[in-house]
Amino acid sequence: MKIKNNLVLALSLLVLSFSCSSDDDNHQQEPQGAYEDGMLITNEGNFGQGNGSVTYVSDDFSYTEQKVFFNVNGTLLGDTAQSIGFYDDLAYIVVNNSQKIEVVNRYTFQSVATIDSGLSNPRYITFLSGKGYVTNWGDGSNPEDDFVAVINLETNTVSSTIPVEEGPERIVTNGTSIYVAHQGGYGQNNIISVIKPNSDEVETITVGDVPNSMVFDNQGSLYVLSGGIPAWTENETGGQLDVINTSSNTVSATFGFDDNEHPSNLTYGESLYYTLNGGVYKLAVGSEELPTTPEIEVVNFNYMAIHNNVLYGVDAGDYTSNGTLQSFDLETNALKHSKEVGIIPSGIYFND
Amino acid sequence: MKRLLYILLVLGIGNFNVVQAQLDSIQKLDEVILSDVKLKRYASGFKVTVLKDFVLTKSPWSLTDLLRYNSNIYFKENGYGMVSSPSFRGTNASQTAVVWNGININSQLNGQVDFNTINTSNYEAVEIRSGGGSVQYGSGAIGGSVHLSNTLSFMKHTDHTVRMSYGSFDTKRANYGLSTGSNNWSVNAGIAYVDSENDYKYLGTDKTNKNGQYDNLSFNLNAGYLLNDHHVLKLYHQSFLGDRNFSGTLLAPSKSKYEDTNYRSMLEWGYFHKQYTSKVKVVHLLEEFKYFENKDAEHFSFGRVQSFIGNHNLNIKLTETIDLRTIIEFAKYSGNGDDFANPNRNAFSATALWRHQVSEPLIYGLSIRKDFTSDFTSPMVFSVDGEYRFSESYALKLNGSKNFRVPTFNDLYWNPGGNLDLLPESSYQVDLGQEFSSKFIALKLNAYYITTKDMIQWVPDNTGLFRPQNINKVTSYGGELELFLKHTIGNHHFNMNSGYSYTVSENDANAKQLIYVPLHKANLNFGYSFKAMEVFYQHLFNGEVNIIGGQLDGYDVGNLGLSYNYTISKNVHSILQFTINNLYNTTYENVALRPMPNRNYQLQLTLKF
Repeated sequence: MKIKNNLVLALSLLVLSFSCSSDDDNHQQEPQGAYEDGMLITNEGNFGQGNGSVTYVSDDFSYTEQKVFFNVNGTLLGDTAQSIGFYDDLAYIVVNNSQKIEVVNRYTFQSVATIDSGLSNPRYITFLSGKGYVTNWGDGSNPEDDFVAVINLETNTVSSTIPVEEGPERIVTNGTSIYVAHQGGYGQNNIISVIKPNSDEVETITVGDVPNSMVFDNQGSLYVLSGGIPAWTENETGGQLDVINTSSNTVSATFGFDDNEHPSNLTYGESLYYTLNGGVYKLAVGSEELPTTPEIEVVNFNYMAIHNNVLYGVDAGDYTSNGTLQSFDLETNALKHSKEVGIIPSGIYFND
Repeated sequence: MKRLLYILLVLGIGNFNVVQAQLDSIQKLDEVILSDVKLKRYASGFKVTVLKDFVLTKSPWSLTDLLRYNSNIYFKENGYGMVSSPSFRGTNASQTAVVWNGININSQLNGQVDFNTINTSNYEAVEIRSGGGSVQYGSGAIGGSVHLSNTLSFMKHTDHTVRMSYGSFDTKRANYGLSTGSNNWSVNAGIAYVDSENDYKYLGTDKTNKNGQYDNLSFNLNAGYLLNDHHVLKLYHQSFLGDRNFSGTLLAPSKSKYEDTNYRSMLEWGYFHKQYTSKVKVVHLLEEFKYFENKDAEHFSFGRVQSFIGNHNLNIKLTETIDLRTIIEFAKYSGNGDDFANPNRNAFSATALWRHQVSEPLIYGLSIRKDFTSDFTSPMVFSVDGEYRFSESYALKLNGSKNFRVPTFNDLYWNPGGNLDLLPESSYQVDLGQEFSSKFIALKLNAYYITTKDMIQWVPDNTGLFRPQNINKVTSYGGELELFLKHTIGNHHFNMNSGYSYTVSENDANAKQLIYVPLHKANLNFGYSFKAMEVFYQHLFNGEVNIIGGQLDGYDVGNLGLSYNYTISKNVHSILQFTINNLYNTTYENVALRPMPNRNYQLQLTLKF
């Protein structure tokens, strides 16, 4: 088994170096590992089935490798691969239902450590001042036990926890503060928690219902997209986009969607992009009104991200067979590439 | 007289030369002692396999363990003792009906029975009826049905059975059974308790099965009173209280807990006069679960359904050779729980069954049923079956039927996702069987074809919300072999029963074998006894299965047992039994990433007096 995995690694290294050397460019830099210059796709897998995985897709889509963690380390990644955070040369893979974080070298995927104590339904991770911050739902059925775990990156252990309100999900930082979007776990919530390093004080900002994605623009404003409360609750509310001034941590502008509109997947690349009803919409920074026509139509993205003016999205398909990664050129809005990835892809991470 | 009939009944089974008058009496007696007479009378063209108590006592009491080693049914068990669901002839977990004394007890919530919530020790026999049975048994009897029946014997007797067992993983089992009666009344009662730490080793790892503890209490009380030659009153009751922690997987730890509560009660009034038999049944079923995501926390989600059923059965012996039975049934189901409001459903069904013994070798049956349900339209279903007995040792059986499964409360009302526009699943099938038998050997060979459309499956809509839809069409076909051998040389008794099934079950959309349906499954039971000693061996071969995104390896598991019969005094018999389960210490997973137990031991003492 070990030999086989090393063989896979060696072969993939070979393939990569071959493709590099045949490429007649001036890149003389030694590759840092097989999984540089491409994307890491987290595939959640089916809850309880232990088929979470990471797929590597090279920048030009010419090379794809499924189940990277297993290929390199010989053990299955875990149950419900939720998200990845990068810190220096390391990738922190948050594996929700395995209640752990796998720490690997982001370029070679060699395992470095496993953090499997002190987490409870971990979701997303970010880093500030040499510490990791991980959102945790606690028990999904208990609205009182949610927290952000602080990770000591030297020892790879949970050093402390910060109690927060129900359903912390996405977590981002601008280098000063940490912003946590409370999507609400099994329920619905409508706040952003602001955490300052070395302080136990948690400030909250009220935004739209069910904040599902957050981005900073190049001016340092934080955009929070809320999906609104879904119709099945019989308490439906429409989506909302809130702009937060990060100096005062107050909402400076708000865009409202119709009551039956539930946008998601806010991302930023010169302009803001989000998905709504199978379309990708573009909103220029500083616009006063929400767009009415989509830039790209008929997609079903579970997640999307922009990199070098290319939009990447993952489609989970039927949730029981492999999903796909698609890329669109934002100059023309035309489909560039499409590649099969793993089961229920839900994250795209650029491993440059 | 009744006592004589009882003896005749026991001796008369399988004897074809019983005179007609006796047959009549036996039929009447069947009606008196059994609540599910349809299984005997209206199933000529179906394969019915009976597992008697000497088979039951060799298995560790759960219906999963019993059927896994003694039938063609394949089980998916989420780790030993956890939720267990059958796949009968390639069908899914909600397409096998479990019938308790004639009443379908599949959950109204999810359409299934968890076979680890049925303790077999309070039943004298378990019967497996292969093939479609919706006409007789209603929703879900598509692959087949499993029958749990209690018989009431109206003769003077009092028998006690005490059974105690202790085994690996601190597994304790205790059972007391009482059967007593006189000419006009009969009572049997049983109580069984099982408790296990269930902390077995995950072979090939340094882990053990954490959070797998379970205990359950099962109580049965059945009573009958013959008012006179024409009237009998009967009461059946069963309670099951289960408390299980749900073990995790190799990759996901668990701290969850699940509590099952089931109460099933039935009052039956039978009236017999000349060629008429009439039975009125009133049934109350209660199912309730509590799921604790964290067993140490107070938060749980729960669901409950109560069913009230009224049923009238009228059997008319039109001529010496023709029986007609009509059944009308009214049912009211009401649920409540955290994931849906307070849904109610009313159902009414009318059924007619016809059985005609054309000549001594030829019997056929025709039956038809129509359901009327408050939430959706149910199809008219029917069944045709026949048996031709070429000789005493060879018979041909054929049946064809249309069957259905109604959407469950979860499918209809679950919030979010419940879909009120669902149709029942409907299925056509045909099954051809051959049975050879002689003094030493019995062989059953069956081939079947089942096609089911409008299969209900939860699929994501364009917002990623999972909702049930009638989307799939599945075709299953295959062959089954069951072989029973019996031989005696002096004091040496040999017996064997074994089965093999070949099952193809494909989704029509992609022609791929469904997940968790093995192409091959085989089971073998071999017993040898000499005077008071008996040795038995059980073997299971379970072929590879498809799982989401891959395959799960097949496996072989064997169990070895030794028992010793000892007569303590004239009226007290004891059986001491020692069993080694997973004799070869096979590393295997029945469901992916959920390892099954390593080699383990069990000592059981049975006293009968």
